[in-house]
Amino acid sequence: MHISFLIHNAYGIGGTIRTTCTLARTLAEQHDVEIVSALRHRDTPVFDPGPRVALRHLVDLRESGPHYDGGDPAHARPAKVFPAAERRYDQYSELTDRRIAQHLRRIEADVVVGTRPGLNVHLARQTRRGPVRIGQEHLTLDTHSRALKMALRGAYPRLDAVTTVTEADARAYRRRLRLPGVRVEAVPNGVPAPALPPADGTGKVVVAAGRLAPVKRYDVLVRAFARVVAERPDWRLRIYGGGAEKAALRSLIDELGLYNHVFLMGPAHPLEAEWAKGSIAAVSSSMEAFGMTIVEAMRCGLPVVATDCPHGPGEIISDGVDGRLVPVGDPEAMAGALLTLIGDDDARRRMGAAALAASARFDPARIAARHEALFGELLARRRASWLHGGLHRARGALLSGAYATKDAARAALRGVRTA
Amino acid sequence: MTASRQLTWTGDETKESAAIDQEATAGSGGAPDGRERRAGRRKRADGTAAPAELRADCIADSAGGLTFDLTAPKDTAPAWSAALVLRRRGGDGADDEVRLPLGPNGAGRLRAVLPSTVALAEGRWNAYADLGDGDALRRLQPGVNDLRSLVDRRPLAGIGRLGVRIPYATKLGNLALRSWLRGPHAEAGDILVSPDGMTVSGRLYGAAPAAGALAEARARRAAGSPAPVTVPLTVDGPEFCFTLPYEELAGRWAHGTEPWDLWLRPAEGAHPVRIARLLDDVADKKQVFNYPALPVPAGAAQLRIGPYYTLDNDLAVRVAGPDAG
Repeated sequence: MHISFLIHNAYGIGGTIRTTCTLARTLAEQHDVEIVSALRHRDTPVFDPGPRVALRHLVDLRESGPHYDGGDPAHARPAKVFPAAERRYDQYSELTDRRIAQHLRRIEADVVVGTRPGLNVHLARQTRRGPVRIGQEHLTLDTHSRALKMALRGAYPRLDAVTTVTEADARAYRRRLRLPGVRVEAVPNGVPAPALPPADGTGKVVVAAGRLAPVKRYDVLVRAFARVVAERPDWRLRIYGGGAEKAALRSLIDELGLYNHVFLMGPAHPLEAEWAKGSIAAVSSSMEAFGMTIVEAMRCGLPVVATDCPHGPGEIISDGVDGRLVPVGDPEAMAGALLTLIGDDDARRRMGAAALAASARFDPARIAARHEALFGELLARRRASWLHGGLHRARGALLSGAYATKDAARAALRGVRTA
Repeated sequence: MTASRQLTWTGDETKESAAIDQEATAGSGGAPDGRERRAGRRKRADGTAAPAELRADCIADSAGGLTFDLTAPKDTAPAWSAALVLRRRGGDGADDEVRLPLGPNGAGRLRAVLPSTVALAEGRWNAYADLGDGDALRRLQPGVNDLRSLVDRRPLAGIGRLGVRIPYATKLGNLALRSWLRGPHAEAGDILVSPDGMTVSGRLYGAAPAAGALAEARARRAAGSPAPVTVPLTVDGPEFCFTLPYEELAGRWAHGTEPWDLWLRPAEGAHPVRIARLLDDVADKKQVFNYPALPVPAGAAQLRIGPYYTLDNDLAVRVAGPDAG
């Protein structure tokens, strides 16, 4: 198969970029794979998709380069195809509309994969007849605004499949967007095996990692750790990552007198070396679209104490077997679960070993195989439907148009812009 | 924290700024680095590929040794003279370059070992590969650093001279080591702060605390330097503990921000030993080990006093006046 990914900016740093590079690199062992980056702002990508993946861009934003597109007047005019309700709307323009359209009209691939809602809308509306169209959702339907949901409902019927990273989100798409004829399937993110031996469970360190953002609720984790320290002053908590909450967390640590026990480590890359220093991982988030850090920690042999928040943790952790699930926003419950694992060396090691075994299901090879199977089935279906006169495509277009008309009418009543 | 922010501190701390991780000013020791970097950039601007980067994975052992594993570049058979080269930044003496044989280690892998017995002078050491092919030294990039055995490193207290090397990624993304070589050494552990003062507990290596042992705070201020503040040491084997009263530091404050360095005298008449925190995997303590600065009155003024680690991971106290940012 020839597979073409369309991504916002392959040269940046973020979960979608990393997971797309991992998937592309793995698929490239068997297939022709390219990553097309809508925007490019630097010379070299941070995450390397490997030598077998072709990487190119559509709009060049490197100011010092000879092909700088940022000065093009069309880049100053607002986008019309990329939905206005998308979070990245400000970075798109008439120029991106045009370049993406050109790319999709001429695309040679068998399968074209969009990696965020706005790009999926492009795929749905502008891909030439032929390639299988896949829209990937790396966040969740719940976190999108009403206006964006309406834009997606208008365009997505023309996709062949929507993939989410959790079953919970796939259910939400099926129930709330109702996209007849569109496959909606959950395929989790792949996480490579770490390049170093797993943790041996002897380190007296609890490790957490993620942006220092309110949604991560590290305040809850720090408060929970105050309870842990009261009973086990020989244990430490390390929180890796940077972000806007740093000063507030620093004050909380000082206020609780935890400056000898709780450490804000700053960003670390690669993280696997840091997980391996700990014996337990902790996730205190109020929301995790997937829960990449949970899988990373498990792949390093750590049991994970996580909040049972929407959407990922409950689908990754088997409570009491390879980790613990605790209620959101409850420092007591989090402290209780941590202390149980801290106090029982055997249970901690047993659950760490279970986490190591269970997390093998997220190996990039297995995840890529699931995508590959989906692509293959859809391609076969597509070829069969051509023989039957392209009925599906026609129905998708009709439905898409019908939803768009209905939603536009609704939006007009509410005064919402749908783009 | 960026270097420029570190440099904005008051002149009293210029002693520390010299140790800031600034590769650009590495000068004499790092000349090849600059050339390679510029060449690489030019190539990429032309749209052609830069030379494949060379990454080294580092494994630390608890004795202070380091093992470097590299993936050999394709279509090069490394010569017998291949070496991993460490150069101390800012140094150009014979002791400021260490060559470690780089030998084959399985399919396509190369390995070099820095044993704990090879002494590296204190400082920052840049890591290069000399593939023995006559080409220039190639700067190494960090791969995966397995430093778990350093996390709670606790050597025997009797050790004569303590060597500590922590690999890290520089701001430009290159591989470097920080090295300390100390004997005796006073390792700081937990620190408790209160409005009255700070209590430091720690462990002494390479010397036995004896009668007359004391901790000493020395003002870094050069002109009109006030007398040191000394306090007695509580000792239990190699473990020590002392409380430094903030009142005494406040009484000696003149203006602005005044740093004090902390030393330990193992016995009466013994050489003073710098108190530092070296025995773990954290290359830059200043970023990670933070302590509250508490308000302390000094006459009409309100000071803020608190412990911190210098850029060399030595323990110090900052006495900040009301006008200090």
